[in-house]
Amino acid sequence: MIDLSVTIAGVRLANPVLPASGTYEFSAAHQGFFSPAELGAVINKTIFQEPRPGNPPPRICETPCGMLNAIGIPGEGVEAFIAEKLPLLRRLGPPVIVSIAGNTLEEFCELAGKITATGMADLLELDLSCPNLRDGIPWATDEGDLRRVVSRVAAATSLPVIAKLSPAVSDIAAMGVAAEQAGARALSLVNTFRGMAIDIEARRPVLGNVTGGLSGPAIRPLAVYAVYATYSRVKIPIIGIGGVSSWRDAVEFLLAGASAVAVGTGNFVNPLAMREVIRGLEGYLRDGGFASVREIVGLAQEGGR
Amino acid sequence: MSVAVYREGRLLGLAEEPRGYLDLLVEVDSIPAQARPGQFVMLRAWPGDDPFLPRPFDIAQADPARSTLRMFVKIEGRGTALLRELKPGAPLQLAGPLGRPIADLDCSSLALLARGVGAAAVTFLAAEALKRGLRVYSFLSASSAERLVCRKLLEEASTSLAVATDDGSAGYHGSALDLVEQLLTGSPVERIYSCGSRRFARYVKELDCSGKVKGFVFLEGFMACGLGDCHGCAVKRERGEGYFLVCQDGPVLRAGEVVLE
Repeated sequence: MIDLSVTIAGVRLANPVLPASGTYEFSAAHQGFFSPAELGAVINKTIFQEPRPGNPPPRICETPCGMLNAIGIPGEGVEAFIAEKLPLLRRLGPPVIVSIAGNTLEEFCELAGKITATGMADLLELDLSCPNLRDGIPWATDEGDLRRVVSRVAAATSLPVIAKLSPAVSDIAAMGVAAEQAGARALSLVNTFRGMAIDIEARRPVLGNVTGGLSGPAIRPLAVYAVYATYSRVKIPIIGIGGVSSWRDAVEFLLAGASAVAVGTGNFVNPLAMREVIRGLEGYLRDGGFASVREIVGLAQEGGR
Repeated sequence: MSVAVYREGRLLGLAEEPRGYLDLLVEVDSIPAQARPGQFVMLRAWPGDDPFLPRPFDIAQADPARSTLRMFVKIEGRGTALLRELKPGAPLQLAGPLGRPIADLDCSSLALLARGVGAAAVTFLAAEALKRGLRVYSFLSASSAERLVCRKLLEEASTSLAVATDDGSAGYHGSALDLVEQLLTGSPVERIYSCGSRRFARYVKELDCSGKVKGFVFLEGFMACGLGDCHGCAVKRERGEGYFLVCQDGPVLRAGEVVLE
Protein backbone atom coordinates (compact mmCIF):
# COMPACT_ATOMS: atom_id res chain seq x y z
CA MET A 1 0.00 0.00 0.00
CA ILE A 2 1.54 3.24 -1.15
CA ASP A 3 0.90 6.28 1.01
CA LEU A 4 -0.20 9.05 -1.38
CA SER A 5 -1.15 11.50 1.34
CA VAL A 6 0.50 14.87 1.71
CA THR A 7 -0.01 17.74 4.13
CA ILE A 8 -0.40 21.28 2.89
CA ALA A 9 -0.36 23.91 5.62
CA GLY A 10 -1.65 21.47 8.21
CA VAL A 11 -4.40 20.10 5.97
CA ARG A 12 -4.10 16.46 5.02
CA LEU A 13 -4.79 15.61 1.37
CA ALA A 14 -5.42 11.92 0.66
CA ASN A 15 -3.36 12.31 -2.50
CA PRO A 16 -1.35 15.15 -4.06
CA VAL A 17 -3.59 15.75 -7.09
CA LEU A 18 -6.12 18.54 -7.33
CA PRO A 19 -7.69 20.73 -10.00
CA ALA A 20 -6.30 24.16 -10.78
CA SER A 21 -8.81 26.89 -10.01
CA GLY A 22 -11.27 27.49 -12.82
CA THR A 23 -10.69 24.28 -14.72
CA TYR A 24 -12.93 21.76 -13.01
CA GLU A 25 -16.27 22.40 -11.46
CA PHE A 26 -18.18 19.27 -10.55
CA SER A 27 -21.55 19.45 -12.29
CA ALA A 28 -24.09 17.18 -13.96
CA ALA A 29 -21.83 17.07 -17.03
CA HIS A 30 -19.11 15.39 -14.93
CA GLN A 31 -21.18 12.71 -13.23
CA GLY A 32 -20.22 9.97 -15.67
CA PHE A 33 -16.47 10.64 -15.45
CA PHE A 34 -15.22 10.00 -11.92
CA SER A 35 -16.08 10.94 -8.38
CA PRO A 36 -14.53 14.17 -7.10
CA ALA A 37 -14.15 12.34 -3.79
CA GLU A 38 -11.08 10.72 -5.38
CA LEU A 39 -9.25 14.05 -5.56
CA GLY A 40 -6.69 15.34 -3.11
CA ALA A 41 -8.62 18.61 -2.79
CA VAL A 42 -11.29 20.59 -4.58
CA ILE A 43 -11.24 24.26 -5.47
CA ASN A 44 -13.65 26.82 -6.88
CA LYS A 45 -13.26 29.15 -9.82
CA THR A 46 -11.81 32.30 -8.24
CA ILE A 47 -14.54 34.33 -6.58
CA PHE A 48 -14.76 38.10 -6.29
CA GLN A 49 -16.86 40.27 -4.05
CA GLU A 50 -19.25 41.32 -6.82
CA PRO A 51 -20.77 39.35 -9.71
CA ARG A 52 -18.71 39.57 -12.90
CA PRO A 53 -19.84 38.85 -16.46
CA GLY A 54 -16.38 37.95 -17.78
CA ASN A 55 -14.67 39.14 -20.94
CA PRO A 56 -16.19 39.48 -24.40
CA PRO A 57 -15.49 36.57 -26.79
CA PRO A 58 -13.38 35.23 -28.36
CA ARG A 59 -12.12 34.11 -24.97
CA ILE A 60 -9.85 31.25 -25.92
CA CYS A 61 -7.41 30.43 -28.66
CA GLU A 62 -5.49 27.23 -29.29
CA THR A 63 -1.72 27.56 -29.51
CA PRO A 64 1.06 25.02 -30.11
CA CYS A 65 0.74 22.50 -27.24
CA GLY A 66 -1.46 24.83 -25.26
CA MET A 67 -4.06 27.53 -25.25
CA LEU A 68 -4.54 31.18 -24.45
CA ASN A 69 -7.47 32.21 -22.33
CA ALA A 70 -8.93 35.56 -21.48
CA ILE A 71 -12.05 34.45 -19.70
CA GLY A 72 -12.02 37.31 -17.20
CA ILE A 73 -13.21 35.19 -14.24
CA PRO A 74 -16.98 35.41 -14.61
CA GLY A 75 -18.70 34.67 -11.34
CA GLU A 76 -21.78 35.10 -9.23
CA GLY A 77 -20.17 37.17 -6.49
CA VAL A 78 -19.30 36.03 -3.00
CA GLU A 79 -22.80 36.14 -1.49
CA ALA A 80 -24.27 33.75 -4.04
CA PHE A 81 -21.11 31.66 -3.93
CA ILE A 82 -21.41 31.16 -0.18
CA ALA A 83 -25.12 30.43 -0.41
CA GLU A 84 -25.02 28.00 -3.34
CA LYS A 85 -21.66 26.74 -4.59
CA LEU A 86 -19.57 26.52 -1.46
CA PRO A 87 -21.94 24.09 0.31
CA LEU A 88 -21.84 21.87 -2.81
CA LEU A 89 -18.06 22.00 -2.85
CA ARG A 90 -17.97 21.11 0.85
CA ARG A 91 -20.17 18.05 0.27
CA LEU A 92 -17.81 16.57 -2.33
CA GLY A 93 -15.60 15.17 0.41
CA PRO A 94 -11.99 16.28 -0.11
CA PRO A 95 -10.55 19.35 1.64
CA VAL A 96 -11.90 22.57 0.16
CA ILE A 97 -9.62 25.30 -1.13
CA VAL A 98 -11.43 28.56 -1.75
CA SER A 99 -9.78 30.77 -4.34
CA ILE A 100 -10.43 34.48 -3.92
CA ALA A 101 -9.37 37.67 -5.67
CA GLY A 102 -10.00 41.30 -4.91
CA ASN A 103 -9.60 44.53 -6.80
CA THR A 104 -8.25 46.18 -3.65
CA LEU A 105 -6.54 45.14 -0.44
CA GLU A 106 -9.73 45.83 1.48
CA GLU A 107 -11.72 43.60 -0.84
CA PHE A 108 -9.24 40.76 -0.36
CA CYS A 109 -9.55 41.05 3.41
CA GLU A 110 -13.32 41.32 3.37
CA LEU A 111 -13.60 38.26 1.15
CA ALA A 112 -11.20 36.31 3.34
CA GLY A 113 -13.30 37.19 6.37
CA LYS A 114 -16.53 36.12 4.73
CA ILE A 115 -15.15 32.79 3.52
CA THR A 116 -13.56 32.09 6.91
CA ALA A 117 -16.84 32.80 8.69
CA THR A 118 -18.65 30.10 6.72
CA GLY A 119 -16.52 27.39 8.30
CA MET A 120 -16.73 25.54 4.98
CA ALA A 121 -13.20 26.16 3.69
CA ASP A 122 -9.98 24.41 4.70
CA LEU A 123 -7.52 26.56 2.81
CA LEU A 124 -7.65 29.97 1.20
CA GLU A 125 -5.87 30.54 -2.10
CA LEU A 126 -5.16 34.11 -3.12
CA ASP A 127 -5.28 34.55 -6.87
CA LEU A 128 -2.63 37.24 -7.07
CA SER A 129 -1.59 36.58 -10.60
CA CYS A 130 -4.36 36.29 -13.18
CA PRO A 131 -2.90 37.99 -16.25
CA ASN A 132 -6.35 39.06 -17.42
CA LEU A 133 -7.15 41.32 -14.49
CA ARG A 134 -6.27 44.72 -13.13
CA ASP A 135 -4.94 45.86 -16.50
CA GLY A 136 -2.69 42.85 -16.35
CA ILE A 137 -0.73 44.16 -13.37
CA PRO A 138 -1.03 41.34 -10.92
CA TRP A 139 -0.35 41.63 -7.24
CA ALA A 140 2.34 39.02 -7.51
CA THR A 141 4.67 41.02 -9.76
CA ASP A 142 5.47 43.68 -7.17
CA GLU A 143 7.17 42.46 -4.02
CA GLY A 144 5.75 45.24 -1.86
CA ASP A 145 2.19 44.63 -3.08
CA LEU A 146 2.66 40.91 -2.58
CA ARG A 147 3.87 41.30 1.02
CA ARG A 148 1.05 43.72 1.80
CA VAL A 149 -1.78 41.61 0.43
CA VAL A 150 -0.54 38.34 1.93
CA SER A 151 0.10 39.78 5.38
CA ARG A 152 -3.19 41.67 5.49
CA VAL A 153 -5.21 38.63 4.42
CA ALA A 154 -3.28 36.33 6.76
CA ALA A 155 -4.26 38.66 9.60
CA ALA A 156 -7.89 38.68 8.47
CA THR A 157 -8.38 34.91 8.43
CA SER A 158 -7.73 31.90 10.60
CA LEU A 159 -7.40 29.75 7.47
CA PRO A 160 -3.99 28.89 6.07
CA VAL A 161 -3.25 31.11 3.09
CA ILE A 162 -1.87 29.84 -0.23
CA ALA A 163 -0.33 32.51 -2.45
CA LYS A 164 -0.76 31.80 -6.16
CA LEU A 165 2.17 33.50 -7.82
CA SER A 166 2.85 34.89 -11.25
CA PRO A 167 5.65 33.60 -13.44
CA ALA A 168 6.03 37.10 -14.91
CA VAL A 169 8.86 38.08 -12.56
CA SER A 170 12.62 37.93 -12.84
CA ASP A 171 13.09 35.92 -9.63
CA ILE A 172 10.13 33.72 -8.77
CA ALA A 173 11.94 32.26 -5.75
CA ALA A 174 12.36 35.72 -4.25
CA MET A 175 8.63 36.29 -4.59
CA GLY A 176 8.02 32.94 -2.92
CA VAL A 177 10.26 33.98 -0.04
CA ALA A 178 8.41 37.30 0.23
CA ALA A 179 5.05 35.53 0.36
CA GLU A 180 6.35 33.11 2.99
CA GLN A 181 7.70 35.93 5.14
CA ALA A 182 4.38 37.74 4.83
CA GLY A 183 2.53 34.75 6.23
CA ALA A 184 1.68 32.47 3.31
CA ARG A 185 1.55 28.83 4.43
CA ALA A 186 1.88 27.41 0.90
CA LEU A 187 2.59 28.54 -2.65
CA SER A 188 0.84 27.73 -5.90
CA LEU A 189 3.38 27.88 -8.73
CA VAL A 190 2.49 29.08 -11.34
CA ASN A 191 -0.37 30.95 -12.91
CA THR A 192 -0.62 31.34 -16.69
CA PHE A 193 1.92 33.31 -18.72
CA ARG A 194 0.60 36.40 -20.44
CA GLY A 195 0.62 36.09 -24.21
CA MET A 196 -1.35 36.84 -27.30
CA ALA A 197 -2.19 35.63 -30.78
CA ILE A 198 -2.92 37.68 -33.87
CA ASP A 199 -5.34 36.79 -36.62
CA ILE A 200 -3.28 37.49 -39.74
CA GLU A 201 -6.33 37.64 -42.02
CA ALA A 202 -8.27 40.09 -39.86
CA ARG A 203 -4.98 41.76 -38.82
CA ARG A 204 -6.01 42.12 -35.23
CA PRO A 205 -5.66 40.24 -31.92
CA VAL A 206 -7.58 36.97 -31.76
CA LEU A 207 -8.79 37.40 -28.18
CA GLY A 208 -11.53 39.85 -27.30
CA ASN A 209 -9.37 40.97 -24.39
CA VAL A 210 -6.32 41.35 -26.70
CA THR A 211 -4.02 39.42 -24.33
CA GLY A 212 -4.58 36.21 -22.43
CA GLY A 213 -2.92 33.63 -20.22
CA LEU A 214 -0.97 30.79 -21.81
CA SER A 215 -1.43 27.34 -20.31
CA GLY A 216 -0.92 23.71 -21.25
CA PRO A 217 2.12 21.54 -21.96
CA ALA A 218 3.77 24.51 -23.68
CA ILE A 219 4.49 26.10 -20.29
CA ARG A 220 5.42 22.97 -18.34
CA PRO A 221 9.22 23.35 -18.47
CA LEU A 222 8.83 26.97 -17.31
CA ALA A 223 6.59 25.94 -14.43
CA VAL A 224 8.81 23.01 -13.41
CA TYR A 225 11.73 25.42 -13.28
CA ALA A 226 9.74 27.86 -11.11
CA VAL A 227 9.07 25.07 -8.62
CA TYR A 228 12.66 23.82 -8.72
CA ALA A 229 14.09 27.29 -8.21
CA THR A 230 11.76 28.13 -5.33
CA TYR A 231 11.85 24.84 -3.43
CA SER A 232 15.26 25.28 -1.82
CA ARG A 233 14.51 28.87 -0.81
CA VAL A 234 11.28 28.33 1.15
CA LYS A 235 10.09 26.02 3.90
CA ILE A 236 6.41 26.08 2.98
CA PRO A 237 4.97 23.49 0.59
CA ILE A 238 4.51 24.18 -3.10
CA ILE A 239 1.59 23.19 -5.29
CA GLY A 240 2.99 22.77 -8.81
CA ILE A 241 0.82 23.94 -11.70
CA GLY A 242 1.50 24.20 -15.40
CA GLY A 243 0.78 21.78 -18.20
CA VAL A 244 0.18 18.65 -16.15
CA SER A 245 -1.84 16.18 -18.15
CA SER A 246 -0.25 12.83 -17.31
CA TRP A 247 1.26 11.17 -14.26
CA ARG A 248 4.71 11.64 -15.78
CA ASP A 249 4.18 15.38 -15.73
CA ALA A 250 3.04 15.22 -12.12
CA VAL A 251 6.12 13.19 -11.12
CA GLU A 252 8.32 15.80 -12.74
CA PHE A 253 6.80 18.52 -10.54
CA LEU A 254 7.10 16.39 -7.40
CA LEU A 255 10.74 15.64 -8.10
CA ALA A 256 11.34 19.35 -8.66
CA GLY A 257 9.97 20.05 -5.21
CA ALA A 258 6.18 20.32 -5.39
CA SER A 259 4.28 18.61 -2.57
CA ALA A 260 1.13 18.49 -4.71
CA VAL A 261 0.20 19.15 -8.31
CA ALA A 262 -2.80 20.85 -9.82
CA VAL A 263 -4.17 19.80 -13.18
CA GLY A 264 -5.61 22.70 -15.17
CA THR A 265 -5.96 22.79 -18.91
CA GLY A 266 -5.33 19.02 -18.96
CA ASN A 267 -8.86 18.56 -17.60
CA PHE A 268 -10.25 20.11 -20.78
CA VAL A 269 -8.47 17.67 -23.05
CA ASN A 270 -9.15 14.55 -21.00
CA PRO A 271 -11.92 14.70 -18.39
CA LEU A 272 -10.35 11.69 -16.66
CA ALA A 273 -6.89 13.31 -16.48
CA MET A 274 -6.81 13.79 -12.69
CA ARG A 275 -7.86 10.23 -11.95
CA GLU A 276 -5.28 8.91 -14.41
CA VAL A 277 -2.58 11.07 -12.78
CA ILE A 278 -3.42 9.68 -9.33
CA ARG A 279 -3.32 6.06 -10.51
CA GLY A 280 -0.21 6.52 -12.62
CA LEU A 281 1.59 8.20 -9.78
CA GLU A 282 0.80 5.30 -7.49
CA GLY A 283 2.23 2.91 -10.08
CA TYR A 284 5.40 4.98 -10.44
CA LEU A 285 5.97 4.95 -6.69
CA ARG A 286 5.35 1.22 -6.46
CA ASP A 287 7.73 0.47 -9.32
CA GLY A 288 10.36 2.72 -7.74
CA GLY A 289 10.04 1.03 -4.36
CA PHE A 290 8.77 4.11 -2.53
CA ALA A 291 6.40 3.75 0.40
CA SER A 292 5.15 7.33 0.33
CA VAL A 293 4.81 10.05 -2.28
CA ARG A 294 6.51 12.37 0.19
CA GLU A 295 9.77 10.49 -0.41
CA ILE A 296 10.08 11.86 -3.94
CA VAL A 297 9.31 15.50 -3.22
CA GLY A 298 12.38 17.50 -4.22
CA LEU A 299 14.38 14.40 -5.08
CA ALA A 300 15.73 16.01 -8.24
CA GLN A 301 17.23 18.86 -6.22
CA GLU A 302 20.96 18.83 -5.80
CA GLY A 303 21.53 16.94 -2.58
CA GLY A 304 17.80 16.94 -1.84
CA ARG A 305 16.51 18.98 1.04
CA MET B 1 -31.03 13.06 -18.44
CA SER B 2 -28.11 11.79 -20.45
CA VAL B 3 -24.83 11.07 -18.74
CA ALA B 4 -21.63 12.06 -20.49
CA VAL B 5 -18.73 9.62 -20.54
CA TYR B 6 -15.18 9.67 -21.85
CA ARG B 7 -14.43 6.72 -24.09
CA GLU B 8 -12.06 5.48 -26.70
CA GLY B 9 -13.98 4.81 -29.91
CA ARG B 10 -12.96 3.27 -33.20
CA LEU B 11 -13.30 4.71 -36.66
CA LEU B 12 -15.48 2.44 -38.79
CA GLY B 13 -15.75 4.53 -41.90
CA LEU B 14 -14.53 7.79 -43.30
CA ALA B 15 -15.42 9.41 -46.59
CA GLU B 16 -14.68 12.84 -47.95
CA GLU B 17 -18.12 13.44 -49.36
CA PRO B 18 -18.70 16.05 -50.56
CA ARG B 19 -15.17 17.34 -51.11
CA GLY B 20 -13.97 19.37 -48.14
CA TYR B 21 -16.30 17.58 -45.73
CA LEU B 22 -15.80 14.36 -43.81
CA ASP B 23 -18.50 11.80 -43.21
CA LEU B 24 -17.38 9.93 -40.08
CA LEU B 25 -18.80 6.73 -38.67
CA VAL B 26 -17.47 5.96 -35.19
CA GLU B 27 -18.07 2.95 -32.99
CA VAL B 28 -18.13 3.84 -29.31
CA ASP B 29 -20.01 2.49 -26.35
CA SER B 30 -22.56 4.30 -24.21
CA ILE B 31 -22.63 7.61 -26.10
CA PRO B 32 -24.97 6.53 -28.94
CA ALA B 33 -27.54 5.28 -26.45
CA GLN B 34 -27.34 8.44 -24.36
CA ALA B 35 -27.24 11.03 -27.13
CA ARG B 36 -30.25 13.23 -27.83
CA PRO B 37 -30.84 15.82 -30.54
CA GLY B 38 -29.06 19.07 -29.82
CA GLN B 39 -26.07 17.36 -28.24
CA PHE B 40 -22.49 17.10 -29.37
CA VAL B 41 -19.24 15.30 -28.60
CA MET B 42 -15.70 16.52 -27.97
CA LEU B 43 -13.42 14.47 -30.18
CA ARG B 44 -9.67 14.03 -30.43
CA ALA B 45 -7.92 11.50 -32.64
CA TRP B 46 -4.22 12.21 -32.77
CA PRO B 47 -1.30 11.43 -30.46
CA GLY B 48 0.69 14.08 -28.62
CA ASP B 49 -0.13 17.60 -27.51
CA ASP B 50 -0.35 19.38 -30.84
CA PRO B 51 -3.03 20.21 -31.82
CA PHE B 52 -3.87 20.43 -28.16
CA LEU B 53 -7.61 20.68 -27.73
CA PRO B 54 -10.40 18.28 -28.64
CA ARG B 55 -12.94 19.55 -31.20
CA PRO B 56 -16.69 19.82 -30.71
CA PHE B 57 -18.76 18.02 -33.36
CA ASP B 58 -22.50 17.70 -33.76
CA ILE B 59 -24.05 14.28 -33.86
CA ALA B 60 -25.94 13.60 -37.11
CA GLN B 61 -27.03 10.07 -36.25
CA ALA B 62 -26.77 7.94 -33.13
CA ASP B 63 -27.45 4.23 -33.47
CA PRO B 64 -27.59 2.52 -30.07
CA ALA B 65 -28.10 -0.93 -31.63
CA ARG B 66 -24.85 -0.73 -33.60
CA SER B 67 -23.21 1.52 -31.02
CA THR B 68 -22.28 4.07 -33.67
CA LEU B 69 -22.26 7.82 -34.14
CA ARG B 70 -22.30 9.49 -37.53
CA MET B 71 -20.80 12.95 -37.79
CA PHE B 72 -20.10 15.41 -40.57
CA VAL B 73 -17.11 17.66 -40.29
CA LYS B 74 -15.91 20.55 -42.39
CA ILE B 75 -12.18 20.33 -43.05
CA GLU B 76 -10.94 23.75 -42.05
CA GLY B 77 -8.05 23.48 -39.64
CA ARG B 78 -5.22 21.24 -38.50
CA GLY B 79 -7.41 19.03 -36.33
CA THR B 80 -9.89 18.28 -39.07
CA ALA B 81 -7.06 17.80 -41.59
CA LEU B 82 -5.62 15.15 -39.27
CA LEU B 83 -9.01 13.45 -39.08
CA ARG B 84 -9.00 13.15 -42.86
CA GLU B 85 -5.82 11.07 -42.70
CA LEU B 86 -7.28 8.50 -40.31
CA LYS B 87 -7.73 4.92 -41.47
CA PRO B 88 -10.63 2.68 -40.48
CA GLY B 89 -9.91 1.09 -37.13
CA ALA B 90 -8.13 4.20 -35.82
CA PRO B 91 -8.79 5.02 -32.16
CA LEU B 92 -10.60 8.25 -31.26
CA GLN B 93 -11.18 9.80 -27.84
CA LEU B 94 -14.70 11.06 -27.30
CA ALA B 95 -16.42 12.85 -24.45
CA GLY B 96 -20.16 13.03 -24.67
CA PRO B 97 -22.96 13.41 -25.16
CA LEU B 98 -22.59 17.04 -24.11
CA GLY B 99 -24.84 20.06 -24.16
CA ARG B 100 -28.46 20.51 -23.30
CA PRO B 101 -30.64 18.12 -25.31
CA ILE B 102 -33.76 19.34 -27.08
CA ALA B 103 -36.01 17.47 -24.71
CA ASP B 104 -39.27 19.24 -25.35
CA LEU B 105 -40.73 18.67 -28.80
CA ASP B 106 -44.19 19.58 -27.72
CA CYS B 107 -45.55 20.77 -31.06
CA SER B 108 -46.80 19.31 -34.34
CA SER B 109 -44.58 20.91 -36.96
CA LEU B 110 -41.02 22.14 -37.34
CA ALA B 111 -39.06 23.96 -39.98
CA LEU B 112 -35.30 23.28 -40.04
CA LEU B 113 -32.90 25.56 -41.88
CA ALA B 114 -29.39 24.31 -42.42
CA ARG B 115 -26.44 25.50 -44.40
CA GLY B 116 -23.27 23.58 -45.07
CA VAL B 117 -22.17 21.29 -42.29
CA GLY B 118 -24.99 22.66 -40.11
CA ALA B 119 -27.10 19.97 -41.74
CA ALA B 120 -25.57 17.37 -39.43
CA ALA B 121 -27.08 18.72 -36.22
CA VAL B 122 -30.55 19.29 -37.65
CA THR B 123 -30.59 15.77 -39.15
CA PHE B 124 -30.57 14.25 -35.65
CA LEU B 125 -33.38 16.57 -34.61
CA ALA B 126 -35.37 15.86 -37.78
CA ALA B 127 -35.17 12.10 -37.26
CA GLU B 128 -36.35 12.33 -33.66
CA ALA B 129 -39.18 14.73 -34.54
CA LEU B 130 -40.36 12.58 -37.46
CA LYS B 131 -40.33 9.51 -35.21
CA ARG B 132 -42.61 11.34 -32.80
CA GLY B 133 -45.06 12.10 -35.60
CA LEU B 134 -44.21 15.76 -36.16
CA ARG B 135 -44.22 17.29 -39.62
CA VAL B 136 -40.66 18.24 -40.43
CA TYR B 137 -39.98 20.73 -43.22
CA SER B 138 -36.27 20.90 -43.91
CA PHE B 139 -34.32 23.38 -45.96
CA LEU B 140 -30.78 22.69 -47.00
CA SER B 141 -28.63 25.44 -48.41
CA ALA B 142 -25.14 25.67 -49.87
CA SER B 143 -23.16 27.85 -52.20
CA SER B 144 -23.28 25.13 -54.84
CA ALA B 145 -24.36 21.54 -55.40
CA GLU B 146 -20.98 20.12 -54.44
CA ARG B 147 -21.23 21.67 -51.00
CA LEU B 148 -24.51 20.12 -49.98
CA VAL B 149 -23.78 18.11 -46.86
CA CYS B 150 -25.77 15.26 -45.40
CA ARG B 151 -28.49 15.66 -48.04
CA LYS B 152 -29.65 12.06 -48.20
CA LEU B 153 -29.87 11.59 -44.45
CA LEU B 154 -31.73 14.82 -43.93
CA GLU B 155 -34.15 13.96 -46.72
CA GLU B 156 -34.90 10.58 -45.13
CA ALA B 157 -35.48 12.24 -41.76
CA SER B 158 -37.85 14.93 -43.03
CA THR B 159 -41.44 15.16 -44.24
CA SER B 160 -40.06 17.27 -47.05
CA LEU B 161 -36.66 18.63 -48.00
CA ALA B 162 -36.11 21.68 -50.15
CA VAL B 163 -32.65 22.45 -51.49
CA ALA B 164 -31.36 25.87 -52.44
CA THR B 165 -27.97 26.85 -53.86
CA ASP B 166 -26.47 30.27 -54.37
CA ASP B 167 -25.42 29.42 -57.93
CA GLY B 168 -28.46 27.38 -58.88
CA SER B 169 -26.46 24.20 -59.46
CA ALA B 170 -28.98 22.24 -57.37
CA GLY B 171 -32.54 22.95 -56.31
CA TYR B 172 -33.78 26.50 -56.02
CA HIS B 173 -31.47 29.20 -57.40
CA GLY B 174 -31.34 31.73 -54.59
CA SER B 175 -31.78 31.97 -50.85
CA ALA B 176 -33.42 29.15 -48.94
CA LEU B 177 -35.17 31.89 -46.99
CA ASP B 178 -37.38 32.54 -50.06
CA LEU B 179 -38.58 28.95 -49.77
CA VAL B 180 -39.11 29.25 -46.02
CA GLU B 181 -41.19 32.39 -46.58
CA GLN B 182 -43.38 30.44 -49.00
CA LEU B 183 -43.87 27.69 -46.44
CA LEU B 184 -44.73 30.12 -43.66
CA THR B 185 -47.37 31.93 -45.74
CA GLY B 186 -49.01 28.61 -46.65
CA SER B 187 -48.97 26.26 -43.67
CA PRO B 188 -48.34 27.37 -40.14
CA VAL B 189 -45.19 26.07 -38.50
CA GLU B 190 -44.82 26.17 -34.74
CA ARG B 191 -41.07 26.15 -34.47
CA ILE B 192 -38.11 26.96 -36.60
CA TYR B 193 -34.47 25.96 -36.00
CA SER B 194 -31.41 27.17 -37.85
CA CYS B 195 -27.89 25.81 -37.97
CA GLY B 196 -24.76 26.71 -39.90
CA SER B 197 -25.57 30.21 -41.12
CA ARG B 198 -25.54 33.57 -39.40
CA ARG B 199 -27.99 34.94 -41.96
CA PHE B 200 -30.45 32.15 -41.18
CA ALA B 201 -29.92 32.67 -37.46
CA ARG B 202 -30.75 36.38 -37.77
CA TYR B 203 -33.84 35.53 -39.79
CA VAL B 204 -34.97 33.01 -37.18
CA LYS B 205 -34.34 35.54 -34.45
CA GLU B 206 -36.55 38.07 -36.24
CA LEU B 207 -39.32 35.50 -36.48
CA ASP B 208 -38.87 34.60 -32.83
CA CYS B 209 -39.00 38.22 -31.72
CA SER B 210 -42.05 38.91 -33.88
CA GLY B 211 -43.92 36.18 -31.99
CA LYS B 212 -45.07 34.48 -35.21
CA VAL B 213 -42.99 31.33 -34.79
CA LYS B 214 -40.84 30.10 -31.94
CA GLY B 215 -37.29 30.38 -33.21
CA PHE B 216 -34.21 28.48 -32.05
CA VAL B 217 -30.59 28.60 -33.15
CA PHE B 218 -27.86 25.99 -33.00
CA LEU B 219 -24.80 27.95 -31.90
CA GLU B 220 -21.12 27.25 -32.06
CA GLY B 221 -18.31 28.72 -30.02
CA PHE B 222 -14.63 28.24 -29.35
CA MET B 223 -14.57 25.79 -26.51
CA ALA B 224 -11.79 23.85 -24.86
CA CYS B 225 -13.79 21.37 -22.78
CA GLY B 226 -17.47 21.24 -23.72
CA LEU B 227 -18.25 20.73 -20.02
CA GLY B 228 -18.87 24.22 -18.73
CA ASP B 229 -15.44 24.45 -17.13
CA CYS B 230 -13.39 26.56 -19.51
CA HIS B 231 -16.02 29.29 -20.04
CA GLY B 232 -14.62 29.85 -23.53
CA CYS B 233 -17.82 29.52 -25.56
CA ALA B 234 -19.58 32.60 -24.27
CA VAL B 235 -22.47 34.13 -26.23
CA LYS B 236 -23.91 37.43 -25.09
CA ARG B 237 -27.39 37.44 -23.61
CA GLU B 238 -29.95 39.69 -25.27
CA ARG B 239 -31.48 40.61 -21.92
CA GLY B 240 -29.50 41.57 -18.87
CA GLU B 241 -25.79 41.33 -18.40
CA GLY B 242 -23.59 38.37 -19.02
CA TYR B 243 -23.27 35.40 -21.28
CA PHE B 244 -24.66 32.00 -22.09
CA LEU B 245 -22.21 29.15 -22.46
CA VAL B 246 -22.82 27.34 -25.74
CA CYS B 247 -21.72 24.01 -24.22
CA GLN B 248 -23.85 24.19 -21.11
CA ASP B 249 -26.85 26.41 -21.86
CA GLY B 250 -26.91 25.40 -25.54
CA PRO B 251 -25.85 24.58 -28.15
CA VAL B 252 -29.52 25.18 -29.02
CA LEU B 253 -30.86 28.43 -27.60
CA ARG B 254 -33.99 30.45 -28.07
CA ALA B 255 -33.10 32.86 -30.88
CA GLY B 256 -34.62 35.91 -29.22
CA GLU B 257 -32.48 35.47 -26.12
CA VAL B 258 -29.03 35.70 -27.70
CA VAL B 259 -27.05 38.47 -29.33
CA LEU B 260 -26.00 37.22 -32.76
CA GLU B 261 -22.69 38.88 -33.59
